[in-house]
Amino acid sequence: MKYDVVVVGSGPAGSMTARFAAESGANVLIIERRQEVGVPVLCGEGISKGVDEFKVLEGKRWLANNMDGARIISPDGTMVKLAADMAGDETGYVLYRDIFDQELARGAIRAGAELMLNTCAVNILKENGKIKGVKAKQFGEEFDIEADIVVGADGVESKIGRWAGMKTTLKPYDLETCAQYTLSNVEFDRAYCDFYLGKKIAPGGYAWIFPKGKDIANVGVGILASLSEPGMSLKLLDKFINSRPELKKGEPLRFLAGAVPVAEPIESVRDNLLLVGDAARQVDPITGGGLMASIEAGKTAGETIGKAIDEQRFDKEMLLPYEEKLKNTLYKKLKRNYVVKEIILGMEDKTLNMLADSLKDYKFDELSTLSLVKALVLKHPSLLIKLKPLLKLSRL
Amino acid sequence: MGKPKALVDKGKCLACGGCISVCPQDAIAMCSSKAIVSKENCIDCGICIQTCPVGAIGNEVH
Ligand SMILES: Cc1cc2nc3c(=O)[nH]c(=O)nc-3n(C[C@H](O)[C@H](O)[C@H](O)COP(=O)(O)OP(=O)(O)OC[C@H]3O[C@@H](n4cnc5c(N)ncnc54)[C@H](O)[C@@H]3O)c2cc1C
Ligand code: SF4
Ligand code: SF4
Repeated sequence: MKYDVVVVGSGPAGSMTARFAAESGANVLIIERRQEVGVPVLCGEGISKGVDEFKVLEGKRWLANNMDGARIISPDGTMVKLAADMAGDETGYVLYRDIFDQELARGAIRAGAELMLNTCAVNILKENGKIKGVKAKQFGEEFDIEADIVVGADGVESKIGRWAGMKTTLKPYDLETCAQYTLSNVEFDRAYCDFYLGKKIAPGGYAWIFPKGKDIANVGVGILASLSEPGMSLKLLDKFINSRPELKKGEPLRFLAGAVPVAEPIESVRDNLLLVGDAARQVDPITGGGLMASIEAGKTAGETIGKAIDEQRFDKEMLLPYEEKLKNTLYKKLKRNYVVKEIILGMEDKTLNMLADSLKDYKFDELSTLSLVKALVLKHPSLLIKLKPLLKLSRL
Repeated sequence: MGKPKALVDKGKCLACGGCISVCPQDAIAMCSSKAIVSKENCIDCGICIQTCPVGAIGNEVH
């Protein structure tokens, strides 16, 4: 079996990479160890409206709910609202993540990529120290898949990078460990995604309510692994739900455990190899949102691969423009937000309450972590000192 | 008595991959949607045990 490109993982990062590589003429195979793309769902399913600009989704089957904005609730219950000016002017979506992933995979297949399910990469294939493809296993049988370029889009637990000798192990303070129910028969404002902060609610993270419909919502808790004890995410989630009558009466339709990297992006390119998405730690360290980053990085990766195939050169230098381009775009935001994450982690609950109180009537011009940071600095010039490394970053 | 090693309760594991991403020894792998610890590589640092969101990992003495 020989392809130009073998992509390991059919999540958003893998499918986007495969699609754009195939569109530029590469012969692409995606392998996925699951038996159905996108299933089981391991996600809060929130995404910003910015996804529209990529024009990679057809129809609306993937869309569960339109969002007007987000609300941040401080430990003492003070609410900061980040919303579009006009009600009904949606700023984001809650997805059916399984259908969303399948739509992205369909886009890759339409562009010419092949997809092999039930197929797990078990190692990297090397010849004289050079990466030559992957070793895969399907229904108990091992076989080789040769390819000029291997793409590790294998998510948070990524092994492809490790097998290639890259340092992908996450520090516990760079991982959010999560539990989530999709609850039916619950009450909430379906126009907003809510984020609850506080050391007692979710140390080093937050609890969330992301509405999927009139009386269905994803309700979850994510905490920093370095502050976690065994089974703590689930215990805190049950506590969060039981302390709120509007949630307590709900019944779960789905339960999941999850892990999200909240690290800085890592080295992602070697000769004949690229990492994309969670595997490259391309996730917003403040929100833990990785879908938009995976989509943006996947597109860039696919386009870079297209050029490499054109020139029949697969060395690191040829693939590096992928990382260079992201350094000037996505990574600026991710690095800035990593600094903000560290500042927020250092704050006591009473500081969070004070900051929320100062912003509760603030009118945000846009819904983004950047506008939140700007508002904080405006209200509290003293924060500027803490944010100094951040200003340096934004000038990069 | 041998050294303690991490052990995943297969009935509880929900395949989130968190333990795998933080294991400093690369001692855990996902097999048929369950995390499995390789006894040879585990140094019982306890990081995975602390990380698991549903408490599916414990110690076992060999
Ligand atoms: C609880 C939770 C809530 C989240 N909520 C949000 C949210 O609301 N909004 C948001 O933007 N992001 C959210 N995220 C983050 C988001 O889910 C990820 O950033 C995103 O899925 C990354 O996409 P990916 O393609 O890199 O990886 P994944 O979607 O994880 O895809 C990786 C794929 O690779 C496959 N794979 C892995 N190893 C192998 C192998 N060896 N062989 C073959 N296949 C393999 C897996 O089966 C999987 O299909 C959340 C994450 C969690 C855990
Ligand atoms: S952290 Fe727990 S639930 Fe997640 S894969 Fe490891 S053992 Fe399974
Ligand atoms: S105890 Fe430490 S070394 Fe052993 S599997 Fe868990 S994280 Fe890895």
